[in-house]
Amino acid sequence: MTQREQEDARPSRSSRVVVIVAAMVAVLLVGAAGGMLLTLSQVDSATPPGPESVDVGFAQDMRVHHLQAVTMAGIARDNSDDGVIRGLAFDIESTQLAQAGQMSGWLTVWGRSTLPPPGAGHMGWMSEGGTHMHSDGSGGETTEAVQRMPGMATTEELNALREATGRKLDVMFLQLMLRHHQGGLEMAAYGAVHASTGYVRNLAKKIVESQQAEADLMAAYLARRGAEPLPVP
Amino acid sequence: MASGTKNKGKPKGKGGAKSGRGSSVSRPRRPKPWGTIGAVVLVVALAAGVFTYAFMQIDEQEQWVASEENQDPSDDIEGVTKVEYDGAQHVSGDQRVAYDQSPPFGGPHDQVWANCNGTVYDTAVRNENMVHGLEHGSIWIAYNPDEVKGAALDTLKAKVEGQPHMMMSPYPGLDRPISLQSWGHQLKLDSADDERVDQFIRALRQNQYQHPEPGGRCDSDGTGFDPLNPPPFVAEPPGEGAVQMDGTGAIEATDEGMTPPAPTGASEPPATDGSQPTGASTGAPPSQ
Repeated sequence: MTQREQEDARPSRSSRVVVIVAAMVAVLLVGAAGGMLLTLSQVDSATPPGPESVDVGFAQDMRVHHLQAVTMAGIARDNSDDGVIRGLAFDIESTQLAQAGQMSGWLTVWGRSTLPPPGAGHMGWMSEGGTHMHSDGSGGETTEAVQRMPGMATTEELNALREATGRKLDVMFLQLMLRHHQGGLEMAAYGAVHASTGYVRNLAKKIVESQQAEADLMAAYLARRGAEPLPVP
Repeated sequence: MASGTKNKGKPKGKGGAKSGRGSSVSRPRRPKPWGTIGAVVLVVALAAGVFTYAFMQIDEQEQWVASEENQDPSDDIEGVTKVEYDGAQHVSGDQRVAYDQSPPFGGPHDQVWANCNGTVYDTAVRNENMVHGLEHGSIWIAYNPDEVKGAALDTLKAKVEGQPHMMMSPYPGLDRPISLQSWGHQLKLDSADDERVDQFIRALRQNQYQHPEPGGRCDSDGTGFDPLNPPPFVAEPPGEGAVQMDGTGAIEATDEGMTPPAPTGASEPPATDGSQPTGASTGAPPSQ
């Protein structure tokens, strides 16, 4: 009893208070810092997908890719004399416009831009695995972000499509859209495997399947019109 | 540290006998919890570092992305002019609007939008169509063709061509080399390399809190607006009879633009009887 009293008396009351307060502050700070790190890790990866994630990169870039298909299909639907072409164009236009809207909704809910950041190029997010290569649109191979995604038509090609009529329009539309579908396959296939979110992987997978089927159809339409497809991007 | 040396110095100054006695008596009091103090300092420093890093990371990623909490990220961009405009006031192809800004960035506009799907116009385009493109959430980069050429022009084109919800056109007589527009927002700049160009685009392109028609389309094929041969910009002031910024003289509200408009169809001359004399002055090109 007396021994314990002596031990208790040793450190002054004030320094005990200091130690206790300091310890409490330390514990609080450790907890807060841990919480902050947890928040940060969620911003980077888990939910919602982070700005550098495959999910966000796929949704932003596939939107851009889809919206050009919508543009081209709209031109063909307006201008073609061939009911088969107009039907195909209507199908592509409505499907891809709806999918682009779906991806826009995801991005909004995730708190991300609905379009890729300006000047950053495209498909830079397709680098997981390291050895991945894709065309940069001018024949070169690169693992860096590209300015023009595979299969994307140039402004000149779009303008030529706008001015074309009759069989020339139908063939040009089939050629450009076939190449566009082929160019988008790689990105969709990557998203179908590497996206972290199940519904993103599902849409990517559906895009691969439906666009592959449409690509086969358009190749057959071209052959029926005695025309050759453009080189695969 | 300072208090440490003080404590050590104290006994010294008070003489040998006292220090000897002091050491035996005060011994239990002397050992300060240096280990604890050091640990606390370490933890504080660590926490400060983590906090700073986390805030910087989160801030950088979210800064230019609109959200419910941050509906207009362009508030953080220096030099942006903001004006609130009502959407959906339409004029026909042969009418003009007495815009209150140059280049305009909101107000009544043609019922057909300018193609804003990554479209680089080589010629100046009619304001009334460009403003409708802004209503659909696009960014319009206008430049003074006498001042922006060569590499600077290419820099701007690269931000526009093929990029959804972007359009670009020369603007004769522009009072600064470059002017960026989105609905209700304008930023005039001197250099194409200014970092605020990308910030403006990130903050406002398809920002559904800031433009009247989220989801509005940028393709103009089939609407009567030909991106290869767009209606030309008119430099002369719109004069009397122009549609006023308050919508006086605009077409009665109809279904929003889904039917191709009759080019000259129901264009009655706008009622000028009640128009305010101030309309003429607001329609005049701004000074500078």
